[in-house]
Amino acid sequence: MAEIATGGVEEREGIVISLLNVTKRFEGVVALSDVSLDLHSGETMVLLGENGAGKSTLVNILIGALQPDEGAIRVRGQTISNYSPAEARRQGINAVLQDFSLAPSLSIADNLFLGREPVRFGVRDRERIKAESRQALELLGLSIDVGTPVAFLDRAEKQMVEIVKALCGRPGVLILDEPTATLTEEQTRRLFDIISRLRLERWAILYITHRLEEVRRVGDRVTVLRDGRRVADYGVGKISEERLISDMVGRPLSVLYPPKAKALSTRVVLRTTALTTRNGRILDVSLEVREGEIVGIAGLVRAGCSEVARACFGLVEVEKGSVEIGGTQLARPDPRTVLRLGMVYLPQDRRGEALALGRSIEENIALEALASPRLSPFGIVRRALVHRDVRAIVERLNIRPRDIHQAVLRLSGGNQQKVVLGRALTRSRLVYLFDEPTAGVDVGARQAIYHHMHALCAAGAGILFVSSDLEEVVHLAARVYVMHEGRIQAELEGDEITAASVVRHSFGLSAGRESTHRPAMGSTPRAAV
Amino acid sequence: MPAGLLRGIFVRVGALPFLLVAMIILFSAANRYFLGLQNVIDMLQEGVFTSLAALGQLFVLVSGGFDLSIGANIALTSIASATVMSGVYAAHSHDPMLAITAGAIAALIVGGGVGIINGIGVAYLEVNPFIVTLATASAFQGATLLISQGQEVGGLPKAFVDGVGSGNWLGIPVAAWIALPLILALYVLLARARYGRYIYAIGSSTGAARVAGIRVPVQLLLTYVICAVATAISGFLLTARVSAGEPLLGAEYTLTSITAAVIGGASLRGGEGSIGGTLLGVVFVIFLSNGMDLMGLSSNHEMIALGVALIFAVVLDRQRARAVSAGFRKRITLYGDHRSSEET
Repeated sequence: MAEIATGGVEEREGIVISLLNVTKRFEGVVALSDVSLDLHSGETMVLLGENGAGKSTLVNILIGALQPDEGAIRVRGQTISNYSPAEARRQGINAVLQDFSLAPSLSIADNLFLGREPVRFGVRDRERIKAESRQALELLGLSIDVGTPVAFLDRAEKQMVEIVKALCGRPGVLILDEPTATLTEEQTRRLFDIISRLRLERWAILYITHRLEEVRRVGDRVTVLRDGRRVADYGVGKISEERLISDMVGRPLSVLYPPKAKALSTRVVLRTTALTTRNGRILDVSLEVREGEIVGIAGLVRAGCSEVARACFGLVEVEKGSVEIGGTQLARPDPRTVLRLGMVYLPQDRRGEALALGRSIEENIALEALASPRLSPFGIVRRALVHRDVRAIVERLNIRPRDIHQAVLRLSGGNQQKVVLGRALTRSRLVYLFDEPTAGVDVGARQAIYHHMHALCAAGAGILFVSSDLEEVVHLAARVYVMHEGRIQAELEGDEITAASVVRHSFGLSAGRESTHRPAMGSTPRAAV
Repeated sequence: MPAGLLRGIFVRVGALPFLLVAMIILFSAANRYFLGLQNVIDMLQEGVFTSLAALGQLFVLVSGGFDLSIGANIALTSIASATVMSGVYAAHSHDPMLAITAGAIAALIVGGGVGIINGIGVAYLEVNPFIVTLATASAFQGATLLISQGQEVGGLPKAFVDGVGSGNWLGIPVAAWIALPLILALYVLLARARYGRYIYAIGSSTGAARVAGIRVPVQLLLTYVICAVATAISGFLLTARVSAGEPLLGAEYTLTSITAAVIGGASLRGGEGSIGGTLLGVVFVIFLSNGMDLMGLSSNHEMIALGVALIFAVVLDRQRARAVSAGFRKRITLYGDHRSSEET
């Protein structure tokens, strides 16, 4: 663990809110461990961390949406015992989260005053609402008609309204969770102007981002979270991006992983050519997976990693490009055809897509294989045969409990994930698409899943996996495609695959010799400061 | 310990067995004819109509949907099949079987058509099943009244009314003999066929079904057709029972079918429910209405009781879901060596 560096901004003002040794666990998994944090009036704190480092948990505790298991929250020097969302608002803690809290059918003005409408003669004072809303918007240099329903605004405008709404609350703290993720450069600049004005007005700002170059642009201080711990805290003047990256990712090498599965031959089992989805989440993605190879896709949240796997499987509408499975080219993949060609998808969303939770282990594992005439001649299920097949898989994957009639709902996360894997194992496949194969899975099950992935490749299959777990990407993949804003930013192989290089490319910083793959129309990395 | 045992049975099979025992005790205490042979046969006869509609409803509930057009379907079937039957019978009065066959075919066509319309609305236009079937119920009711001019359709063959409607064979109502193979077929479809696995999966998680390569819209369409055909057969048998095509026949079956299926363990959240449970649910609603009849209470009282029963069933359903998930935490190790009843 890196020692916590201190120092930085010289004259610091009063602390608005502090977390004192806060720990938060979810069903035994530690999300935040002994984290202390002070937000000072008139200062912008940037919070950095990988996916799953605990940033959202921390924000949710600050706004009272989650209660810490241990530790305390102190606002303006007073420890607050019953800290709730209502209490947080009363104390002037305002947040703009990634999920907006605006009612789409109401106008901007009505949204700004929702729940605290001024009343005149027993009815809402619409004139006053409009006038005050107009004033509030103008303060931020916004010129939108306040009568416009929020549904008509674009994302950046909604975000501005959301910020105005936050600023209409009691002054104190403003929390911004990745506010620039979908903003243009111009909108970003305007947001940063607003932030510096708020600083002058003595607001304390907590700014969460994935973009390293923003640290210097808006921050006074930067705090890095890793695996739920606060590992570093610097004044921004003194710190290099390289140092921040190593703080974010520096983990010990693990013995969890099997040796890397490299291609057995040059035979390509899956190839995408300039794949672009209708929803625009991925653009011109060309990649290939060879026989016997484990290939990873890495990138930040919303970089489009999962979308690639989903588009290959036909769950997202493809607009341009094609998917080629074992030599058969598809312009419009759909799950049925893709499965027939020998490619299977293991979704990350166990609740929504991977499992019928209320149904049994047997039904879940056999669901897709049932289509074969061997298991259901004339549409009637041969239960003895199905049970035998499923039992064999349950044994092989060591799924607990052994009772195959148990509802999947009752299984632990690791065993649920094994059931998802089990469905893919009902027959041999050419390509496996794993979307976050070990999310929420304990170490024992992880090791088992890696082992099985390796065995599948040894038998000649190709694996494409998407993971937000950097360590997993670095240690499991023989090749890695790093995505940034919907495009492939880099293709890394062999020694090029290091945590630092993956992170650098996923932030869109393509400098360095690792950059072997640059899309012709690739997104220009933002100027590093 | 006995309390724990009772709780175990409740979690496993629900409250229904307890309720049925209580009802038998209550109603036979109130009227000794309740368990008399004739009354049991009467209940069986009535149970046939309810069973077919409730089993149809069960299929739709398992797939995660809802069918509010069951009552309207029964009325439309009744009018359409009676109109066809009386027409054919008037032309060929020497051949009642021809007329009955024509009427049966008309009923199946109506059922198939109703199912396809509901199914297209839900599966392909992707409109909420509640809205689709509420709307089609209104449309079917309107069509029924247009065709019949609001009048009963009489002139049905005697063989139909006396044979199918109130005949017995080996002491069992003819309608029950007709329904028995149908119920068996529905059982095979839901519990033994690939199709059944698919709709349980769709009802439990549409996304998971899609990822497993299941053509969700086709399976849903099929489900609404199965429901509507089963309901139409119920409407056809009811027409024989009341000896005429009636434009307002069967309105209560929408509520009854949902009540029976839900009280029998089908979940409004989809993905749960069984043929056996639903048949027990049918026994419940039949006991309720018949028992109250024997106690001299009017059908108005029955409607109140049925409404209360439905709410009660839904609340119980939720309690049970909670008990199941609460029990899970404590007994996680116990399930490891728990032997299933469905072992082959």
